Amino acid sequence: MANSNSAQTALDMLILTILSRRGASHGYGIANAIQEVSEEALRVEEGSLYPALHRMEEASWITAEWAVTENKRRARMYRINRAGTKQLEAEKEKWSTFSAGVARVLRMA
Amino acid sequence: MPSPRFPIPQGTLDMLILQILSLEPAHGYGVAQRLEQVSQSVVQVNQGSLYPALHRLEQKNWLRAEWKQSETGREAKFYSLTASGRKQLAEERNSWARLAGAVQLIFDEGGKS
Amino acid sequence: MRWLLNWLRRRSMERDLDRELSYHTDRRVSDLMAAGFSQQDARRQARLELGGWMQVQEEVRDVWLTRWLRDFIYDLRFSLRSFLRSPSFTITAVLSLAVGIGATTAIYSLVNQVLLSELPVRHPDRLVLVDWKGDQAANGFGSYNLMSYPICRDLQLQDRFFDGVLCRAATTVNLAIGEEPKPVGAELISGSYFSVLGVSPALGRLVDAADDERPGAGPVVVLAYDFWEAQLGGAADVVGRKVLINQSPMTIIGVAARGFRGIDVGQVPSIWIPASMSAQANPGFKDQLDRRTRWMQILASLRPGMTLTQAQAGLQPWFKGMLDEDTRRPEFPRITAERRQQFLSSSLTLTPAPQGHSVLQRSRTSQPLWVLFAATGVLLGLACLNVAGLFLARGSAREREFSTRLALGASRGRISRQTLTDATLLSVTGGLVGIALAPLVIKTLIAFLPRDTAANALTASIDLRLLLFTFPVSAAAGVVSGLAPAIRTSRGSLISPLRERAGATLRGARLRKAIVTLQIAFTLVLVIGAALFARTLAGLIAKGPGFATSSLVEFSIDPRRNGYSPVEASRLVRRIDSEIRATPGIDASALMRFQLLTGGSWNNPLTIQADKRITTDRDVHLNSVSPGFFSTLGIGLVAGRDFTERDSRPVGESGRRSAIVNEAFASRYLAGRNPIGLRIGEGSGPDVTADIEVVGVVKDISYRGIREESEQAYFPIFEGGDSGGSFYVKSRGNPESTFRLIREIVRKADPAMPVNALRTVDDQVNRSLNTERMLATLSGGFSTLALLLSLVGLYGVMSFVVTQRTREIGVRLALGATTGSAIWLVLRDAIMMIAAGAAIGLPCAGALGRLVESQLFGVTPTDPLTIAAATLLLTVAALGAALIPAYRASSVNPVDALRFD
Repeated sequence: MANSNSAQTALDMLILTILSRRGASHGYGIANAIQEVSEEALRVEEGSLYPALHRMEEASWITAEWAVTENKRRARMYRINRAGTKQLEAEKEKWSTFSAGVARVLRMA
Repeated sequence: MPSPRFPIPQGTLDMLILQILSLEPAHGYGVAQRLEQVSQSVVQVNQGSLYPALHRLEQKNWLRAEWKQSETGREAKFYSLTASGRKQLAEERNSWARLAGAVQLIFDEGGKS
Repeated sequence: MRWLLNWLRRRSMERDLDRELSYHTDRRVSDLMAAGFSQQDARRQARLELGGWMQVQEEVRDVWLTRWLRDFIYDLRFSLRSFLRSPSFTITAVLSLAVGIGATTAIYSLVNQVLLSELPVRHPDRLVLVDWKGDQAANGFGSYNLMSYPICRDLQLQDRFFDGVLCRAATTVNLAIGEEPKPVGAELISGSYFSVLGVSPALGRLVDAADDERPGAGPVVVLAYDFWEAQLGGAADVVGRKVLINQSPMTIIGVAARGFRGIDVGQVPSIWIPASMSAQANPGFKDQLDRRTRWMQILASLRPGMTLTQAQAGLQPWFKGMLDEDTRRPEFPRITAERRQQFLSSSLTLTPAPQGHSVLQRSRTSQPLWVLFAATGVLLGLACLNVAGLFLARGSAREREFSTRLALGASRGRISRQTLTDATLLSVTGGLVGIALAPLVIKTLIAFLPRDTAANALTASIDLRLLLFTFPVSAAAGVVSGLAPAIRTSRGSLISPLRERAGATLRGARLRKAIVTLQIAFTLVLVIGAALFARTLAGLIAKGPGFATSSLVEFSIDPRRNGYSPVEASRLVRRIDSEIRATPGIDASALMRFQLLTGGSWNNPLTIQADKRITTDRDVHLNSVSPGFFSTLGIGLVAGRDFTERDSRPVGESGRRSAIVNEAFASRYLAGRNPIGLRIGEGSGPDVTADIEVVGVVKDISYRGIREESEQAYFPIFEGGDSGGSFYVKSRGNPESTFRLIREIVRKADPAMPVNALRTVDDQVNRSLNTERMLATLSGGFSTLALLLSLVGLYGVMSFVVTQRTREIGVRLALGATTGSAIWLVLRDAIMMIAAGAAIGLPCAGALGRLVESQLFGVTPTDPLTIAAATLLLTVAALGAALIPAYRASSVNPVDALRFD
């Protein structure tokens, strides 16, 4: 259980970061961005990306609307809102603390 | 009610346990205590996942266990790292570095644009 | 395998986990108390942190043993306990499945050994059988796919298609290893035989090309591994030992690899001899290099990458050229233009032969095996239905238990899985019992097969391949038997078994009735099949061979194999014959060249010179006999006379003077004419002179087998090189004393002469009916088992229905219904099932009957009497099984019935 929760949290965080920095984006764009920005270290599968987007929409961290994309196809565009930005800041904070804690343990010798 | 903590990924928990035990053998309670101390309470292991993790690592032969007298005088199950556990720890540290690095990149990328 | 260890020491692991967790809690409590908590608060806090003791334990257990495995082991233990609680259910179910699986495994073992298993050679998949399609304009010795030796040599040059070609012929030789000669099976082989097959020696060397270079080149013998072990104790110094083959000296050069038994499971050789020694192995045979003598089978190994079709097409141009060349050879026989055309339009055919060449595959043994295999399949299906029915019956009893488990939170899938686990456990147990039974059945089956050839190659042992068949079959049987109940459990509603029982049980009854109906249909098919085979056997026994077999004993000797010249051989045979006739207690004795009822014959077309010259349109079965043969066997002379001593030409002089034909011959070819005095000739070519006078006509008898009615002609024995023969001896004493007399007489004439096939003619008749007896006995056995299984099923479902309807019957009885009408009420259900079963089973039996038509004799597959009798038998037995519960229903006390519930 610890596994899926933490994976979810990390994914949420990544999506929110991408949306907050790049503005509105569709699912495919988000997946690409995560992969590209992390220098291919992180890869998001569709099977977890879309459930995450819907979950966050439910939680009102992001909003979604249908729009026509650059290649003339209809796609659902996601946009981060204020609650989402707040959530992101909180999560980021928690991540920094956590990773700092882990780093302390790993430095221990 | 404390704010919900960042949930520890399973691989990370394994790594932390292996790291603690790489210094000296300890029992489950000791592992939990030391993790909390060293991380300055940042990493608080859900006790419910600590013991399944310890047993999983033992099944994989990364840990070996023996009953020894503890500091309180009572018998406790002490875990210590095996050779393959040491190898595993090195791998886990590597992949943690990659994960942390990648997440950091994404956060930083935000700053650039 | 770690999980197994974990499972075995789970108790100590649980104890350790308990200690570990309580240590943790206690430490936490004392730490918290040190930090100022009260003991109570500290305890609560520690527990809370651990997140539910039970849950932690569960998760740690998941680490020890994955969840599904734990569930499975739990299910298994649950199944086992519940089976042990209801032993009668368990025994019935396991036995049903054991019978089905055991029978199927046994038949499969034989099907596999006789028909399916590949030769233990290097590339069985590349082996092809080469056969001649068309007229070879040649004489044949042997049966099936015969070719000449020179063609094998020619084919070896076609190395574009083949990387090796071998030829072989099965024969029997007298082998003497330092003592008196004994007849053994031998394979005459080309020098390429072992290298093409890729068989290596276990000892010494094998026959090679040099041994077979020209006639007489290789007086060498290779022993079969089994023969070497059984007859020579596996002696290591056997290589180099001198032996006599038909009195010709030869040398043992080696032993072939263990497990290699030649290429024909129906003719397993004890020794291999190069074809170059065929004149010694078949005394009097001079035609090894004759292109017009067919006596060997040819197998070739396709080049890697070459397909059968490519090779077959590629060979034809060469083959046509060879045919053309053959007709221009001086020794090519004079044949009619029509036959010459047939010869020239011949072609070569290749067929895959990974199993080698087998007379069993090609003879009448293969179809009966498939028939029996199908029968066991039906039997297994019946057993599965029976178990499914038993499960449904038990299911109603277990419904409360299941709904309790459902109510306690078990998922519906888990419950269905429990049912499947039940079924699998049963079927695997059934499979194990079945496998234990199988060798007994296989031994019985082997006893039915031709004893001298096949029996020593077939084994009753259970090997891996058989287990690979039986295990999936058992598992499938388990799934099939458990499926219906499992589906029912998963569909059943949670509350229904607890609340309203009527609906669910009615549905259960309908399903069970459907199962019993199917069982009846299956059983009817088997019973009809068994009845047809039983009538076939009875018909053949009643028909008999057409002559009096009682107090008749037969045996044969083959002096040529002991080094006799033809003239000496016929003198020896005559001397033994007259000795026997002079012995007190012997009524009569006569000689025949080819033994009767062995499946084989000497056959050839004949030319008849009547008003005009005609040739027979098919082969006539020929034999030669001594004077007095017909009277010894009690075969009536219809016209003319028997042979006398004067009919035989002097020894050594060729040609025939007189012949006797049978009634079938006379009526087919000489209708309306007086046969006596007509002249006939052997063969059908234009060069045949018809100068043999027909001197008599005799009654028809069976020659190859009892089924057969054929046109036959007899010549006097000791003409045309006859040099051995079968004796038919009629005596007053018991067979054993006659056997002793015969052995004594032969030993006095030549102590080194083996007496072959010494047995009563009744025994020979029985042997010739082995296949029919196997079919009748086994299908009878299978259908009895099937009947038993479906009666158990029917009885079960009827008892169930009666229990369900006790109340209804009670009410009717209370309202004045008669006992008879109560019985009728129940019986009506049974009759419906029987009628429906028959409606399904009869058309199936009709359709399947056509497939076994060729196995039948004197009865058609749709014989109304047989079908009616089988249906009647089944109906009576089924009604009997239904009557017991019906009678119980009629004796219901109305008052009790109303109080019920």
